[in-house]
Amino acid sequence: MRWCICIPSIALMFAIGAQADELQPAGIPVEKTIDHYVDSAIKANGISSAPMADDATFIRRVTLDLCGRIPTAAETREYVESKTLDKREKLVDRLMQSSGFVRYQASEFDAMLMQGASNGRRGGGSLRDYLERSIASNRPWNEVFKDLILPDDNDAAKKGAGEFLKPRLTDVDKLTTEVSILFFGVNMSCARCHDHPLVADWKQDHFFGMKSFFNRTFDNGGFLAEREFGLVKFQTTKGQNKDAQMMFLTGKVVSAPGMKEPTKDEEKKEKERFEEFKKKKAVPPPPKFSARSAFVETALQPEQRGYFSKAIVNRLWNRFFGLGLVNPVDQMHSENAPSHPELLEWLARDLVDHRYDLKRTIRGVVLSHAYGRSSRWDSNGEPPAAKWFAVARVRPLTPLQLANSLRIATSDPQTFENTKPADLEKKIEQIESSARGLANMFEYPNDDFQIGAGEALLFSNSDRMQKDLLADGGDRLFSNLKKLKTNDQVVELTVSSILCRPATSYEKQMFNDFLAKRIDRPADAQRQLVWAFLTTSEFRFNH
Amino acid sequence: MSRSSFCGSAAHALDRRGFLGLAGAGAAAIAADMTGVGRSLSSSTLASELKQQGKRCIMLWLAGGASQLETWDPKPGAVTGGPFRAIPTCVPGAHISELMPKMASRMNTTCIIRSLNTKNGDHGSGAQIMMKGRRDEASVKYPDLGAVLGKELGRADSKVPDYVWFYSQTEGRGFAPGASGFLGARYAPMELTTNMAPENLRRLDGITDLDHKERSDLRDLLSKQFERGRTSSTLGSHNEAYQRVRGLMASEKLFDITQEAQKTRDSYGPTQFAEQVLVARRLVEAGVPFVRVARAWWDSHGQNFETHQEMVPELDHVMATLIDDLKDRGLLESTLIITLAEFGRTPSINPSLGRDHFASAWSCSLSGCGIKGGAIYGKTDATGNRVVEGEVGAAQVFATIYRALGINHQKNYYLGSRPVPLTDPNTKPIKEVLA
Repeated sequence: MRWCICIPSIALMFAIGAQADELQPAGIPVEKTIDHYVDSAIKANGISSAPMADDATFIRRVTLDLCGRIPTAAETREYVESKTLDKREKLVDRLMQSSGFVRYQASEFDAMLMQGASNGRRGGGSLRDYLERSIASNRPWNEVFKDLILPDDNDAAKKGAGEFLKPRLTDVDKLTTEVSILFFGVNMSCARCHDHPLVADWKQDHFFGMKSFFNRTFDNGGFLAEREFGLVKFQTTKGQNKDAQMMFLTGKVVSAPGMKEPTKDEEKKEKERFEEFKKKKAVPPPPKFSARSAFVETALQPEQRGYFSKAIVNRLWNRFFGLGLVNPVDQMHSENAPSHPELLEWLARDLVDHRYDLKRTIRGVVLSHAYGRSSRWDSNGEPPAAKWFAVARVRPLTPLQLANSLRIATSDPQTFENTKPADLEKKIEQIESSARGLANMFEYPNDDFQIGAGEALLFSNSDRMQKDLLADGGDRLFSNLKKLKTNDQVVELTVSSILCRPATSYEKQMFNDFLAKRIDRPADAQRQLVWAFLTTSEFRFNH
Repeated sequence: MSRSSFCGSAAHALDRRGFLGLAGAGAAAIAADMTGVGRSLSSSTLASELKQQGKRCIMLWLAGGASQLETWDPKPGAVTGGPFRAIPTCVPGAHISELMPKMASRMNTTCIIRSLNTKNGDHGSGAQIMMKGRRDEASVKYPDLGAVLGKELGRADSKVPDYVWFYSQTEGRGFAPGASGFLGARYAPMELTTNMAPENLRRLDGITDLDHKERSDLRDLLSKQFERGRTSSTLGSHNEAYQRVRGLMASEKLFDITQEAQKTRDSYGPTQFAEQVLVARRLVEAGVPFVRVARAWWDSHGQNFETHQEMVPELDHVMATLIDDLKDRGLLESTLIITLAEFGRTPSINPSLGRDHFASAWSCSLSGCGIKGGAIYGKTDATGNRVVEGEVGAAQVFATIYRALGINHQKNYYLGSRPVPLTDPNTKPIKEVLA
């Protein structure tokens, strides 16, 4: 593997960033600051932006992003018809207080941290279970980070947090790389770099320095254990043998005891000590000096925490806008400037100032005008580059968003009418749990996601989809469609249930013709109508 | 064109190759014309593009790890050699195991690489490396060979699948799943595990063909409405996927070997592996860029010799028949056959008369398109324990495969703005085995 070369002072710039007095004041609401910076950049570059999305589009977008599902027809109607001035705030607050928010955000963080490796494992002791509890109690992100890196098997409140580290202990190089990527937005594994050094920030010293925090940790019969000593040695590209220092990404060196290879005798003694705990099936006590504790402490120090705070802000931004302020999200370095440096700086500072409260950042993001713009570019000429956030991006649904939405869209819309909020939440939860199997049939989208013919064939010809989505049944959309008198009513109900908006006159005309040609088989015709709306790109994407 | 008309002179050999190459492309286009090559051929497709478009690949995946000593790199008489002899082949000086007499007489179509050191003797990791040519990075999941070839050799609007994958036996199936990595679902394989024909290709009984088509037209109209004023490559792929559905449904007949002449079916033989390889031939003939047929149960920790005595002759027969069949159809020059496993087997024989996992000195073979037939590359020591000449890893094998198929092995894909070369930088193909 090849590592790239570096200039530490530039790396430091990313850690600390611009001077605080150059930024917008701290007291301004998050959404206002976002708009200040995004709009200034749009203006400075002489480009125009798309208008705000209409209410129906907004409630669909934000419900998908926050709760992982489309809104019901009743929710959409209520929101669109509401004349309240602060209806956006009210909607966002309602969604963020719902149990669906906790479930979906836990799934998203699980997918991010485990990159699909946990296969959405749920239940007691799973990482997802821990994440649900953390999100429900709005546990600060720095505390979550601590729990994941320093899990405590004896602490019931943190149960499941260890599932982040344990499966990664077999490969400390990979663990080092993944921790750097996930929590600091830094990817030091340069095996896929160019011949020319694209990244000047990272030296071998950084990688092996980071590895030194982890190489004393191992799995002791199912329990996490850490040794008192350990030294990482490596060979430089020039063939020189070197001992690594315990060093954080910023170049900050931790002076640690035990930076040596143990003698045979020491090694034997320590092994025996750990064997005892293995036999007792007990958690071994932490070492006098824990390299992992030193790591967490260092990463969160005021002079070093820039990477940590910016990385999570950038990941959240990437999730809600379909593009980060820095792209790719694991390439935060001096050669890859953010599109809006001050905004990233401000958001990171705001996060730290508000005890790493991710909910605060998320709320600000979705209430910003930048988030609320239309995804459609109706003006003349090419749409502005995505990095200006002048027009919303079209984003493919995640497997959970798609499966949950398919289920909601094909439920009898009547069952969502006039329900108490608590009952609606219960019903949605049931629908979500019935959609999990379906979600496994779709792929989690990456940056340049391409949808395959397999998915189109699945929707077109599989018995499963037919039964799951297009079947007759008491609580299904069909049972309601059958009762309707006119074709217009059929089209209207279908579109409002599936696409969360009113049907256009063009659609009514088109489907009237389609249904009229099939008066001998109205049920089949309705089924095909529903199929066409469920498979259109308008349904498959968040827009 | 019968083989007897070839007089054997070098000049004629060239002519014949040129002729067959052309006839091959023509035959494939006429035979099926399902890729759309035929139409663009008549317009203005450049000869070089045609060349790349016409190229195909079949991989015979020997899951569990076949023994190099009982196939391509026998060591008769050595303490590690086992009971089987080595036999001469039609290429002077080249010997292979006596279990492969049919391939021995066809060595002029095939090259052997005897110096693989892939360093990983674990089924899962070994399979990943040999399917992708490298290991995944922490944040980059690489596409496997089938996905890359689907992208490079297939057509966006192809009416046939890009990547088909047979894996009927259970051994090792989970270790080597087809994986399109960062290329996404667009290049994911059509997987066949329990059936001979893929899932979801057949229209359900509940809907008429006309309604199936017209609801799809409706869907297109709706999506077009939505696409106005919106651009995204993911959005484009969604609509392309639906546009391919009807064409793919029509390709179902390619999976039906009863449409082959009885004589052809008899020549392949009645085994499941043989029938799947015959389907693979039907698929590449119709323009499918990559088909992988896995044959499992090679993991002979016990009774290695009985296992290989039973399985190598089947491999020998099927591989030889495939080569003959492709040659008769003029397709061998445009079709690369890769015979590969996740690793080889230990030269040392264990107490259960088995051979264990071994990745430090083993063999694979390449036949047909772009390959110098009869070439033998690399060498292991007298006992087969280590490579003594021409050591190569998975990356070089992949670079060689790409070059044989006319693909620049250093081509970059882009993950956002990040360039990702097809093989790791500085990887060189094995030019000694390339035509």
